[in-house]
Amino acid sequence: MERKNFLKSLVIGAVSTSALVEACKKDADTVTGTTTTSGSSSSGSSSGSTDSGTCSVAPTETEGPYPTHSPASYVRSDITDGRTGYKLTVKITINNSNSSCAALPSALVDIWHCDAEGNYSEYGGSGSQSTNYTLVHFLRGRQTTDSNGLVTFTSIFPGWYTGRATHIHVHAYNSSGTSLKVTQIAFPEGTGTALAAVNGYSKGMSGYTYNATDNVFSDGYSLELATVTGNTTDGFVLSISLSVPA
Amino acid sequence: MQKPVIVLCYRKVIDNRSVKQWDKLVFDSTYLEFKIQAQNFSQGTAYTSYAELMRNVANARRLNGMVTPSATGYIQQLGSIMPDILNNVGRRFLTFSRFQFEIINSDINDKDKHQVAVNFYSAPLIWHDTIDSYLLISDHLPENQPSAEGDTITTNLMQLQPYVNISSLQYLD
Repeated sequence: MERKNFLKSLVIGAVSTSALVEACKKDADTVTGTTTTSGSSSSGSSSGSTDSGTCSVAPTETEGPYPTHSPASYVRSDITDGRTGYKLTVKITINNSNSSCAALPSALVDIWHCDAEGNYSEYGGSGSQSTNYTLVHFLRGRQTTDSNGLVTFTSIFPGWYTGRATHIHVHAYNSSGTSLKVTQIAFPEGTGTALAAVNGYSKGMSGYTYNATDNVFSDGYSLELATVTGNTTDGFVLSISLSVPA
Repeated sequence: MQKPVIVLCYRKVIDNRSVKQWDKLVFDSTYLEFKIQAQNFSQGTAYTSYAELMRNVANARRLNGMVTPSATGYIQQLGSIMPDILNNVGRRFLTFSRFQFEIINSDINDKDKHQVAVNFYSAPLIWHDTIDSYLLISDHLPENQPSAEGDTITTNLMQLQPYVNISSLQYLD
């Protein structure tokens, strides 16, 4: 009884052929039979999977909306994603060390850095960080260098975490995605610098690791040291040129 | 007695044999991103395949999350309607709000080895009945729970099929 009602409403809803409806009224088994038949023609089916290689119920509806090219959601200039902090404009120029340091156009440049509290997106659950940010990718972005080799990002001044000096990660690739260079950008230290002005946000600078003792920068960081101008009211601008072998 | 509520998971496998336009776009986009991101783990090693990186490089599992953003734009284009899975009159009808991207295989130097899956999780469904190999299901709405004689519920009949799993089951009452 219950089942008959289901089938009835199904058929009425789906196919407005009076003959079928009549058949349904007369004998629910007929409809079940019909269903089974159409089922077995598609059986083995499998349907959805691209892998199965067997037949499946073909879609009987308009195809669409047609998929269009969609770049990775890393591709963006503003990587802030609502993270709060002092505005930082990051200007990175990529030069080709294999071509007289000429500007390198069309290179992909990924940057990522931690937020004001020292947390990264997408790295939750690892030992060094308990906050789980794996589902978002704030403070990560990708741009393609222009004819002058320049990419520009809008972000916030990074915070710091135990064991590391303030830094921004950079990974440069050629246009087909082959890695050219992984490096990090270091920040100037001392009186009057942006680092001193930001003063570690709410953490302060107690326990901060300076460049000289940082395990990445302590072997020399003159080629990774950025120029940072500005102030906490108007925001800061970071500029650096990086030479990569392309 | 309320009918149980289920969530269906469709694991859509995409590789170099995929023919649909959407699948190809996801294939290309996720391969480029895999290649880009895998180099963060492969530098200084001779490893080029996902399997080697997983076996030998700490945290290489993060690649799944790092490659996901290359697919999210395409997943948004689906408009929350699960692809490929049809009801028995040939219409896509399952909605999804959650997905999980998964790298099955890949290699920095060999695009043909790239194989990924998107696991689509349906919105909760009321499982009314099973007819042969078909599930009779409806949206999980209060009015779709049978309450009184004569109530009519809008349902869908969907065939059980490979790569579709009932990923959770909840008894009400």
